[in-house]
Amino acid sequence: MLEAFVLATVLCGFFGALLKKNLVMKIISMDIMSTGVVAFYVLIASRNGLFTPIISDAQNIAYADPVPQAVILTAIVIGFSIQALMLVGVMKLARDNPTLETSEIEKSNTL
Amino acid sequence: MSSISIAWIALPFFVGFVIYLLPKLDRYLALSTAFASVAFALWLFVVQSPINLQLIDHFGVTLILDPLAGYFILTNALVTAAVIIYCWHSGRTSFFYAQTIILHGSVNAAFSCSDFVSLYVALEVISIASFLLIAYPRTDRSIWVGLRYLFTSNIAMLFYLVGAVLVYQAHHSFSYVGLRGAPPEAIALIFLGLLVKGGIFVSGLWLPMTHSESEAPVSALLSGFVVKAGVFPLVRFALLLEEIDPIVRIFGVGTALLGVSYAVFEKDTKRLLAYSTVAQLGFIIGAPTVAGFYALTHGLVKAALFLTAGILPSRSFKELREKAIATPVWIALVVASLSISGFPLLAGFGAKVSTLENLMPWQVIPMNVAALGTAITYAKFVFLPRGGEAKVGTGFWAAIALLIGGLFIANIAYPEAYTIANIVKLLLTIALGWIAHLLIFQQAFVKLPRLLEGFEHLIGVMSLTLVVLFWMMMA
Repeated sequence: MLEAFVLATVLCGFFGALLKKNLVMKIISMDIMSTGVVAFYVLIASRNGLFTPIISDAQNIAYADPVPQAVILTAIVIGFSIQALMLVGVMKLARDNPTLETSEIEKSNTL
Repeated sequence: MSSISIAWIALPFFVGFVIYLLPKLDRYLALSTAFASVAFALWLFVVQSPINLQLIDHFGVTLILDPLAGYFILTNALVTAAVIIYCWHSGRTSFFYAQTIILHGSVNAAFSCSDFVSLYVALEVISIASFLLIAYPRTDRSIWVGLRYLFTSNIAMLFYLVGAVLVYQAHHSFSYVGLRGAPPEAIALIFLGLLVKGGIFVSGLWLPMTHSESEAPVSALLSGFVVKAGVFPLVRFALLLEEIDPIVRIFGVGTALLGVSYAVFEKDTKRLLAYSTVAQLGFIIGAPTVAGFYALTHGLVKAALFLTAGILPSRSFKELREKAIATPVWIALVVASLSISGFPLLAGFGAKVSTLENLMPWQVIPMNVAALGTAITYAKFVFLPRGGEAKVGTGFWAAIALLIGGLFIANIAYPEAYTIANIVKLLLTIALGWIAHLLIFQQAFVKLPRLLEGFEHLIGVMSLTLVVLFWMMMA
């Protein structure tokens, strides 16, 4: 059930990136998509348990798997920096293309 | 051995940051790092036995360094060195060299890792560094070209991440071997990410615009080795798992034919070279067992061609036919064109022969057609008028000497290719290609639609590719 919601988030993000005309909206959609992916990792990490894997006195507790969590932490940082970089690019582009419609930018810059 | 390997992987990143601290030494530091990689790659050929490194635990970082990776690393190192030499007197800031060397390091990491997470990190760092290099001129156009590259590859990498965690779920390990027995959707998602990153078949149609609109040295970097960071894991998978091998080969044939059919009708030098990259990537993954040597020869040739195209007086073939180009430049163009068409005495010959010998029976006809198409494509450069004047710096000639010299030296690596049958076959292919060029394609005026290269279509095609990949994995 949760898996379906998570995958729906990924798809929503993807279709947003595909169908939205505005560049900023596309980038936000991409962020939604990556949120879905992050949630998917967290979901898979919690298959065997929910407890935070920290050394303590407690015995026989069902821990969450730390590996996907560690991996997705890296991916979050990378995704965040890429997004920052893209928004800087968008700010530069916005000076000459105030509407930020991708079709317009593409027409004036590449064809 | 392992400590040398780890030091070598860390070196470019360390140097990249040192360049920011000591901007006066930028070019020297960058060039010596590139040559350190050349030495390391040659050392891999001497050692022969693969170095397997497993850091931390079974879910940790794993590296495989073997002669296959050695070929790719050598390509990366030589092209980086040539580009730095080319830019020596161009007045670029130390930022450019720092990004180049970080790009070099992350591509090295992609060539040596053998687990999905390290590969993910390496590919994302490649995206960022390439974006910064593409957008280096800071014009609207370059920023837009960089942005669409970054956007497309980031969406693809998100799909890849989902695939990677599905592999983890099946095996509790991110290692490449985990692909065996992984669910088909996991393989499909991972393949989608790599196909887009590697610029293969329809999902690689972001490549022509990105590579042709960048500056000449950046195009040389992108076409020379950056796309191969996406292709290399596909080759590894194909060699690792025999059930994946046919799928990789199908994509090889598809992308070779697609790239060639666009390239023969192209009227713009840089776009032609970019489409030809798409085609040549098909040759690399068309025969995974000999992919390394082909990648090396293609990287050297394509970098030389992009650097040369950068100093031609015009980008349009129509104008170039009316204006003679300087004879030395023309000779550089012709030698590179002959190598990529598979002319004997150049490394491209050995690479073509070994690839065409290692094909599956069903691949033989389409791949030979693609080889003919390559000859037709490069005939356009060969038949340009020569004898004009050009002012070219020494940096350009040093870079070209390194790349073309590499082609002559690499030619020694595969002497078994020189049988009469092979020589006649490839000479015949080239002759046929040139005749076809003179009779048909020189006059042909066909403008293929660029519809699929549109930004929205690049994203849309990803969803289609994913569906197709899924059915291929199920079958």
